[in-house]
Amino acid sequence: MTPDRGEAPAPDVTMLATHAFLRGMPPEAVALLARSCRASTVPAGRRFFEEGEAATRFWLLRGGHVALEVHSPGDRRLIVETLGRGDLLGLSWLLPPYQWQFGALAIADTAAFEFDGEAVLAGCDADPSLGYHLLRRFLSAASGRLQSARIRMLDLYATPTEAGAGP
Amino acid sequence: MTGLAAPALPARYRVAGRCAETQDTVTLDLRPVDQAIPELLPGQFTMLYAPGIGEVPVSVSGVSPGGGLVQTVRAVGAVTRALCAAGPGQLIGVRGPFGTNWDVTSAQGGDLAVVAGGIGLAPLRGALRAALARRGRYRRIVALIGARSPGELVFAGELDDWRDAGAEVHVTVDRAVAGWTGHVGVVTQLIDRAEIDPGATTALVCGPEVMMRLAARELLARGIPAGRIRVSLERNMLCGMAECGHCQLGPLLLCRDGPVVSYDVAGPLLAIREL
Repeated sequence: MTPDRGEAPAPDVTMLATHAFLRGMPPEAVALLARSCRASTVPAGRRFFEEGEAATRFWLLRGGHVALEVHSPGDRRLIVETLGRGDLLGLSWLLPPYQWQFGALAIADTAAFEFDGEAVLAGCDADPSLGYHLLRRFLSAASGRLQSARIRMLDLYATPTEAGAGP
Repeated sequence: MTGLAAPALPARYRVAGRCAETQDTVTLDLRPVDQAIPELLPGQFTMLYAPGIGEVPVSVSGVSPGGGLVQTVRAVGAVTRALCAAGPGQLIGVRGPFGTNWDVTSAQGGDLAVVAGGIGLAPLRGALRAALARRGRYRRIVALIGARSPGELVFAGELDDWRDAGAEVHVTVDRAVAGWTGHVGVVTQLIDRAEIDPGATTALVCGPEVMMRLAARELLARGIPAGRIRVSLERNMLCGMAECGHCQLGPLLLCRDGPVVSYDVAGPLLAIREL
């Protein structure tokens, strides 16, 4: 696994290990990930990626605010969800067809650890232990997103009946 | 009003002000015509009587000098529609106060996390304002608020005041609209990101029951003990005096033992489907 871009050094492994997404991961696995990672900053208003583009990387957000969007006719963009510090940005790099299912826009200056997906996948193939630890975390994040989506589908704040007490 | 008849007899209040919070939710400023009901604490509720139509339980969002009450009502039926339509000068009957309160003073010395969903912010408003009035006695005060959409956020005009008074206020909506730059997602996601010290945090939660269960689960996962998580429960409050039994939840009569219940008590009861 090699850094995908030469301009930014790999982040400090200790700093990477403190990210909520990687908490509890064995140090040797974090060290392997660090080799495919660089620290990045995306200013407000700039896109991480567009819906339909090739998905080749993912980010662990350290701060800021990112909107996941779908576009509708008239270039209207609908926000599906927002992400912030401690969150994972990017699942589509992991599975075919390796295309972003949503767009991602920084709506505030956003700091992140940026990972080269291809290099990480190669690392997982070479070391199944890394793949195991990483996929458990991706599954946990995907499960959380699924639960959130289900809860929102329930429309819990819609009109209740009058039979109950206040509020 | 004194004696045994007091909780059963409505006191006359006059609508002094009316503020439309959202399309279907109104905050009423009520002033006593005769004698005010006894002093109440944040989290308690009253029974509001729309003359000739009926009575419903409504949490108290605040108080004003001279025994005034601030109560937020969502129009979901005949009685609440009548209350929401009440204009200045109209008479409304008020019984109470009833039930337990948030006991916000017990959170002093630590962090206070307020987690509200939808109109669940109404009963928490008083607790938040009470804590902010004594800001120095708390460490962090964090308000995590979920709403269906930006237009359905209650007390939207007060959020900046709460921030100015020293609260961290985070709002998330289920459905964003054009121009919305805040969070989009469920309120429980904000809990995970909140900067609180779980070992010294008291959490107050109010909203739809499913949301409260999920919020409590997230708070527990953050390490806040169940005994320091309080939820506001609702069932069919009718008499308000623990006489009729309509508001029973297992061993609790929520008009007396609630609405505010510690989650170490409420959690196991909410897990029973038949209750």
